[in-house]
Amino acid sequence: MKTLRYYARLYVLIVSQYIKARMQYRADFIISSIGMVFTSLATILTFRVLFNSIPTLVGWSFNEIVFIYGFFMLAVTPLQLFFDHIWQLRYHVQEGTFIKYYFRPINMMFYYMSEMVDLKGIIQVFLGFGALIYASAQLELVWTPLRVLLLFIMLFSSSMVTISILTIAACTCFWTTDSFPVMALALKIRDFAQYPMTVFEGFFRFIFTYVIPIGFVAFYPAQLFLRPEDVSPLVYTSPLVGIGFFALAYVVWTKGVNSYTGTGS
Amino acid sequence: MKRYLALTKSAFLSVITYRFGFLFTFIGNLVYMILVYFLWRSIFRGSTTIHGMTFDQTLVYLALASSIFILFKTWTEWFLARMINDGSIAVELIKPVDFQVYMLFRTFGFVLVNLVVITLPSVLVLFFVFGVRIETGIGLAFVPLALLLAFLISFALDYIVGTSGFYTESTWGISMTKEIITTLLSGALIPLQFFPEGVRRVLELLPFQAIYHVPLTLITSPDLALTDCWWLLATQVFWVLALLVVSRVFFSRALRVLTVSGG
Repeated sequence: MKTLRYYARLYVLIVSQYIKARMQYRADFIISSIGMVFTSLATILTFRVLFNSIPTLVGWSFNEIVFIYGFFMLAVTPLQLFFDHIWQLRYHVQEGTFIKYYFRPINMMFYYMSEMVDLKGIIQVFLGFGALIYASAQLELVWTPLRVLLLFIMLFSSSMVTISILTIAACTCFWTTDSFPVMALALKIRDFAQYPMTVFEGFFRFIFTYVIPIGFVAFYPAQLFLRPEDVSPLVYTSPLVGIGFFALAYVVWTKGVNSYTGTGS
Repeated sequence: MKRYLALTKSAFLSVITYRFGFLFTFIGNLVYMILVYFLWRSIFRGSTTIHGMTFDQTLVYLALASSIFILFKTWTEWFLARMINDGSIAVELIKPVDFQVYMLFRTFGFVLVNLVVITLPSVLVLFFVFGVRIETGIGLAFVPLALLLAFLISFALDYIVGTSGFYTESTWGISMTKEIITTLLSGALIPLQFFPEGVRRVLELLPFQAIYHVPLTLITSPDLALTDCWWLLATQVFWVLALLVVSRVFFSRALRVLTVSGG
């Protein structure tokens, strides 16, 4: 408990320094936020156009797809907000600046990730909740306090899955120096999570459920709120999947950190 | 001309060394093709044609759209914006070559690498592994020309975005916005045929469709008449000229605000 409080205080200190430094790039924040709003709108418009030609997508209506997408956006937000520094990992590893993280008496992963907070993620929170509220109103979903609690538990589990997948992808730079292509691929696969997993069949549905569990990012947990009556009991393992995957990512990170030998200068 | 071609060659050789990265981009494209395959097969469940397109035609259209997207992904705007922001552009500007032509030939080298390493293999996979069969018509003969024109339009747009580096350092946001607008409004995410009639008319007046929709229509529509083909190419030529003029004017205006101190 004491360590937890210590780390929370440290986090606030490090992050507030970072935010002060970012304050000079206000235009960048605004322009990037516009870019993110456009991306979300484009996705929803794409679905809108699609649903002009078809009544349902493998049985799911437009509003249900908007709900899944809103859930997806919220599930990927913690990655964007708190783990954005993983995109820089390859530079630090290549240029040798990663060495500095070995010299602090605190958890390395914590220290590394705390150095950057991507404030644009906040925009995504609004967009995600906007989509969820819109879809809930259209679908006339009933939100009891218990369901809201369940929503946050599920969002936590989902964000753990996305954080872990991207962290593992980023860690490949400890062995291959450039991890960008692997991360881009991971991001591409992660984006599959916006679609109902029932689109996929046989082999691929198996992969996306059990091997690379992107089904757990949005579709399976969103089912709990959309159609609780025919949800598979598998969904309740979601928090375990999230925590298990994060543990795996942490193991990969530790292995990478231990095998890193610096650049020699 | 020869000195410009040397640029293309050196750009080609400089990026071909990053084989590992290309392999992953290629796998990424295959993964995207798998998504398109499953997603659109569920959309086509119960109907053989939607808006006059068969499943195979739609699959070819979208899979090739993503392959063309990767073909033209040359990071030109990033390169240009970085040169502006760190001042190294000053050195390039005093060279006895036209700067835009210099950038064009350099970018062309990257496109050639993408073509050989990613786009062509993806097309082979599409036809031999996915086994799609589509009828093609006379339009196919015009595809190389249409792709070249599409490249020039894409290059001009990147050049305009890169030039904005004279005014702001937020290339990430501008480039991302450009990318999403281009892919959505050009038919790269959904074929233009699927848009409502009124929206489609407007989209056909924009430059974005000239990058994707024109070459893809030439490939996937078997019953195009010769005049249709010429007409499609004419709209591309119009946008090439218009956007190159805009990009040149923008660049020379922007150059006035540039101050590079020391170096």
